[in-house]
Amino acid sequence: MADLSADLGFCTLKNPVITASGTFGYGEEFLPFYDLDVLGAVVMKGIFREERPGNPPPRLHETPAGLLNSIGLAGPGSAALQEIIRRLHARTPVPIIVNVCGGNDDEFVEVAALFSAMDEVAMLELNISCPNVKKGGACPAQDAGHTARLVKRVKEGIRKPLVVKLSPNAADIVGVAQAAQDAGADALSLVNTFLGLAVDLETRRPVFANVYAGLSGPAVKPLALRLVREVCRKAYVPVIGIGGIASGRDALDYILVGASAVQVGTVNFYDPAGAARIVAEIDAEMERLKIRNLSEIRGKLLA
Amino acid sequence: MQDERGLIEETRSLGNGYHLLKIAVPHAAETARPGQFVMARILPALDPLLRRPLGILDARPPYIWLYFQVLGSGTRLLAGQRPGDSLDILGPLGNTFPELPGQRVLLIAGGRGIVPLFHYARAYGERRSLLLLHGGRSKADLPLLDRVRALRLERLFVFSEDGSLGQQGRLSDGLEKIVRDERPDVTLSCGPEAMLAALAKLLKPFPTRNLVSLEARMGCGFGACQGCVIRTANGTYRRVCDEGPVFPMEEIQWPT
Repeated sequence: MADLSADLGFCTLKNPVITASGTFGYGEEFLPFYDLDVLGAVVMKGIFREERPGNPPPRLHETPAGLLNSIGLAGPGSAALQEIIRRLHARTPVPIIVNVCGGNDDEFVEVAALFSAMDEVAMLELNISCPNVKKGGACPAQDAGHTARLVKRVKEGIRKPLVVKLSPNAADIVGVAQAAQDAGADALSLVNTFLGLAVDLETRRPVFANVYAGLSGPAVKPLALRLVREVCRKAYVPVIGIGGIASGRDALDYILVGASAVQVGTVNFYDPAGAARIVAEIDAEMERLKIRNLSEIRGKLLA
Repeated sequence: MQDERGLIEETRSLGNGYHLLKIAVPHAAETARPGQFVMARILPALDPLLRRPLGILDARPPYIWLYFQVLGSGTRLLAGQRPGDSLDILGPLGNTFPELPGQRVLLIAGGRGIVPLFHYARAYGERRSLLLLHGGRSKADLPLLDRVRALRLERLFVFSEDGSLGQQGRLSDGLEKIVRDERPDVTLSCGPEAMLAALAKLLKPFPTRNLVSLEARMGCGFGACQGCVIRTANGTYRRVCDEGPVFPMEEIQWPT
């Protein structure tokens, strides 16, 4: 059996597979399918201070090998999530990552501080990249200056490692990544969903009330893999690669371009035990390719 | 709830795009209650990416029966499956229609909405008298009618819009008289949204308890993605997959 451990510098995960925010509920939904402790970590669905209803339906639209979503970060609010995390932690030792959201900078800072104080939480992920909160898809991760200011403020209020989740919709994702790490991010995760559009020819209207929506799934993998490679070439903090991972091979592709770990998302919807399957597939692929540990191939793309 | 590899035992095309699948899937067949559904995945395609939610028409272990109409890419692929093919079947999912012992129950089924009510009548029809009001556009849209007639029902009322079967008209045209004459305690409905909205209006003056089973596009089917919400009368959203698909009729905000 290969050594699957994933070194993030500030901690080592038992393997590189993390479930992506918004695709894994609050962990509990997946307990009927497998023991979550087989994963490297789980990320909770993004959370604001207060309960949020989310966007009006329709919220989903399928595309070839892809999924457009406009959920709008529906959620129960921070106090309710704290309860859920305590419950989940009592059932499984898997590291829990909280995906922190905010309607403004003050809220990001406040929510991050709240979850930083919880022993059950391993690290925080700053969600500055959700395209479904503001109409038109605007988010802090589109601007390096805003990202730097926000990351600095959040870091000052917490004592847990901070992962900053980046948007593929930024004009210069490498510039935003550099701003985030210079401001104190302990790791970077990318990418969030790609801003997309679906229209209805019958009604001549956009499918979604918010007009634009976020595209994920296997369809986006080559786009995301390129962005992860470009960020990895300039990053001095660990990078967590995200985008269309549906197999162990997909996950290892991200390691090869320089990622230290990966997040798997949309696959959780159509294959509820998919993340656990991907862990097993990584092991099998490493055996087959005689790779003893991930550092043997991390960033070793011959190009 | 389990994710099981189901083996297709029998497929039947019923015309007009309607299909019936008999699938060997022991866990779902043994545990499914009326009103529940499964998420079916056609292997190993990534297009369509998501599973399809399908109501359970009937369950006799180790088999379940699924009944659907070809409406898009997912159901088209499903209709092309052959005996011996397999599907991943996640289920049973969602809440159920309550058994309602001692109550006089009127089932109201519009078109494909027969699915959970057929299951209900199969499961509970021998223990009590059930009324069924069933309607569709035409005879071609009610291909299960022979099977419906074989159910244990106290009375069956059939409506078709073009008059090709039963009484001419929408089932909502006959509803008030049936409720007045038969005095059900409870109605259980399933069908197109416009029909359900009309029923909600018509049933308002009556003292019946009214439950409805809803259809929705779903991402996961078990509460994780929050993609399948419907708006309730008090303005909040509820997930059809795990807070439903059965809801009290008055809780839903119907289109006007």
